[in-house]
Amino acid sequence: MAVAPQQQRADLREPAGWRRTKNRIATVLMVLSFVVVIIPLGFVLYTTIAKGASAITGSFLTSPIPSVVEPVNVGGIWPAILGTLEITALATVIAVPLGVLGAVYLNEYGGNNWLSRFIGFMADVMTGVPSIIMGLFIYSIWVLHFGYSGLAGALALGALMLPIVIRSSYEMLRLVPDSLRQGSYALGASKSRVTLTVVLPAAVGGIVSGALLAVARAAGETAPLLFVILGGLTTGNANVFHGANIALPMLIFQNASSPYPGAQARGWGAALTLIAIAFILMIAARVVTARFARYAR
Amino acid sequence: MQRLRVQQVTTAALAIVVSGFSLAACSSSGSGGSGGSSGPSGTLNASGSSFQLLFQQAAIQQFRTIQPNVTVNYGGGGSGKGRSDLAAGTVNFAGSDSPIPSTETANFAGKTVLYFPVVIGPITMSYNLPGVTSLKLTPTVIADIFQAKIKTWNDPAIKAINPGVTLPSTHITLAVRADSSGTTQNFSLFLMTAAPSVWKLGSSSTISWPSGAQAGSGNGGVAQIVHATPGAIGYVDYADAKAAGLTFASVQNKAGQYIVPSTTAASAAAAGVTVAPDLTFAAVWAPGATAYPITYQSWDLVYQKQSSASTAKALKAYLGYLLGAGQKLLPALNYAPLPASIDAKAKAQLSKIG
Amino acid sequence: MSVVIPADQAAPGSVPASGLTARAGLGDRGFRWLTLAAGLLVLVILVLIAVSTSQQASQWFSTEGLKIFGTKWDPATNKFGATPFIYGTAITGVIALVMAVPVSVGIALLLTEVVPYRFARPIVYVVDLLAVVPSVVWGLWGILVFAPWIQHTYASIGSGVNGVPVLGNLFGPPTSGPSFFTAGIILAFMITPIVTSLSREVIATVPTIDREGAYALGATRWEMIRGVVWPHSQGGVVGSVLLGLGRAVGETIAAALVIGSSPEITSHLFATGYSMPAVIANQFGEASGVFKSALLGLGVLLFAFTIIINVIARGAVERSTRRMRGA
Repeated sequence: MAVAPQQQRADLREPAGWRRTKNRIATVLMVLSFVVVIIPLGFVLYTTIAKGASAITGSFLTSPIPSVVEPVNVGGIWPAILGTLEITALATVIAVPLGVLGAVYLNEYGGNNWLSRFIGFMADVMTGVPSIIMGLFIYSIWVLHFGYSGLAGALALGALMLPIVIRSSYEMLRLVPDSLRQGSYALGASKSRVTLTVVLPAAVGGIVSGALLAVARAAGETAPLLFVILGGLTTGNANVFHGANIALPMLIFQNASSPYPGAQARGWGAALTLIAIAFILMIAARVVTARFARYAR
Repeated sequence: MQRLRVQQVTTAALAIVVSGFSLAACSSSGSGGSGGSSGPSGTLNASGSSFQLLFQQAAIQQFRTIQPNVTVNYGGGGSGKGRSDLAAGTVNFAGSDSPIPSTETANFAGKTVLYFPVVIGPITMSYNLPGVTSLKLTPTVIADIFQAKIKTWNDPAIKAINPGVTLPSTHITLAVRADSSGTTQNFSLFLMTAAPSVWKLGSSSTISWPSGAQAGSGNGGVAQIVHATPGAIGYVDYADAKAAGLTFASVQNKAGQYIVPSTTAASAAAAGVTVAPDLTFAAVWAPGATAYPITYQSWDLVYQKQSSASTAKALKAYLGYLLGAGQKLLPALNYAPLPASIDAKAKAQLSKIG
Repeated sequence: MSVVIPADQAAPGSVPASGLTARAGLGDRGFRWLTLAAGLLVLVILVLIAVSTSQQASQWFSTEGLKIFGTKWDPATNKFGATPFIYGTAITGVIALVMAVPVSVGIALLLTEVVPYRFARPIVYVVDLLAVVPSVVWGLWGILVFAPWIQHTYASIGSGVNGVPVLGNLFGPPTSGPSFFTAGIILAFMITPIVTSLSREVIATVPTIDREGAYALGATRWEMIRGVVWPHSQGGVVGSVLLGLGRAVGETIAAALVIGSSPEITSHLFATGYSMPAVIANQFGEASGVFKSALLGLGVLLFAFTIIINVIARGAVERSTRRMRGA
């Protein structure tokens, strides 16, 4: 077998013709989809900042809620900030562990049996329940017996978050390669140990992603809270388990469509605050997860 | 080694969260106060009419300075929600722009509900016609406009009652409420009472408006539509219309006079109504030469029998404030205070709570 | 880290064997029951919601019978036909999906295949920012800024296609800023982060070996995506699309603000319309009696609607995965 006298350099360019064009078009479309998303986001943020930034001062963030007619330099939105933080935190504590555990059952224990397929299907159906129906549901089974409270709000938001956390965690757990699991079993670990120490850490990035999206949605929901926490507060309620409460989305909704300029500025200031709080939390969570994921690898 | 650190961090975080919640749960509800036998104290929860919302917020703010141990939370949400919350017992009093309708009386079976009228206000016919600063409307014309039988501003029917005003040929855009509301209920009640042969759409908190009507959320939303759309006309609460800087039309009342909406004209309307023994009345289409015809009212509904003496005390204190010193807050908010006779009757009813 | 082989914890009397054949320990079984309970909780909550909502809606079902599918909704004259809302929910959901899914999958692919790792972070943060905008802000921006602006575009398109057979019926007049189409667009913005984020996570788990194999065979990036990434991740991507659909169909406040609040069935996408969550949000506060029961009945119908959609979607995925596996 004769060896070619010269080694031919590998041709690393894209193939000529239609295949290359298709590739280029695909890349352009992908970039375009990102651009398509940035534009409205930019406009929304611009509107929120333009209308709300002037309201943000130290006292705005820490003062009690004034009457709607008051100008923007009177009072603030502290009760709503407190309400959003405590209700969303409680909802997260309720929904995320339950959701992840549920996904663990579906993926690790349930396999393909009818129960886990049914639960998975029902979790999908549950994501389609309108947020307002969730609020009305919690009203009829909880508020009617125990009165208005931040806990009721947390239950309503948690119920909204639960199916999202389950579905996203399930998808992530499913994609953890079996080789990881089998290696752990081979070393003699029990199933719970494998799940807790190998599978979950391997999927933690995706699970946290899904959980963050669920939290972001919960923090921004208005409709369910309208029926279960009452609102109308002027001073903060630090007790999330008892007594009426208020949250930023409710305040935004009430104020931003009011004709009083003070109320409008307060509403948009509250919107800006909510976006800022949620965004900072998301970034923090992603940074923390990335750090742990690095260790896990 | 790293897993240990992860475990430590997670445990620490969980501990912080759990202790935070238990601290909050164990601490007494901050708004309770120490419930001394001297003054009223406690928390009052209320929901209902958004027409009252402005008044309630201002009153709550002032009431705090008089009775710091009583916390009142008024959540709004609509008259219907207020009534159903009261029926369910989740609120102490409810704001409602209309008396309990027959479909809901079953929810209150066996319990006596007291009506306390608290505020009166006009509903304006706000419009956006550049160059037209004064406009006169009659109930029949309004009914035809809002059923899309009159479609342009220079319609002969409008021209007939506005001699000397140049009306453009702009198409009329209706600005209505997207959400159900007591304002819609009373506006449609006015049309049904004042133009019964013409108005066919009934009286309800939700009306099926003709297609092409633009719907806004809340009085503020309707005001915003009128403000932004030349040729628009909508029904907006007086307080919101003034805050939005809208122009309003004068409406012909029962006595045949064209009245511009104002708090005095609303009080004049309320002064002329017949009040039932339970203090319910309807201020629309009221008699009186200076009465504004589209005036409405709002009540605070309370159970006569209260389960706890301290709640009864707090209710009497707060409602007493609304009917007394609180009425002075109303003109600045562009609402009309109650006529003296109705106010006196309401105050007399306070002692029944207990 | 030393490895501990769990001691045999089987019932007394049985032959102690290596840890591999031991009965699961108490902690292990406890964990299993815990996860089962968590999974069942979903069913319990859903059953409770279905039962309590149906109970309150039964008055409407019994008084109206089949008229619940009527086309007129007029509480003042006691007409409660649900079809305008079913139609509106379906239309806005479809519009939202049609717009959001290609964009979201495109961004997910951009992040995993095209962009170098260090530039991926800022793009992820931008998508996160999209997710943290509250629904009420989307609604307010939609009605105060977007709808008035896009009204002119609708009007020009409308007058342009007026009279043309199919396009005229879809995009012709009457046009309005708040409309089915505007609601669909706003919903698309809202569901993009969830579909993007989840798809990205799913696509990121495609084994690098498979990717490199495709490249080694001379595939272009697009061919690699089609041949390697897609078969591996299609189940997960469909799962994320279903999550997005759920959000689009259940979104209340944003839809209520920008859909136009007019219960009419019309093929004109630029006309005002209504959707089930929007009407419940708008009219529940003042409803009582049959009216209230009808609004809750809409919730029950939405349930049924979501179940049907999920069955169809799941079926389609299973059929195509079977085909892929067989291929």
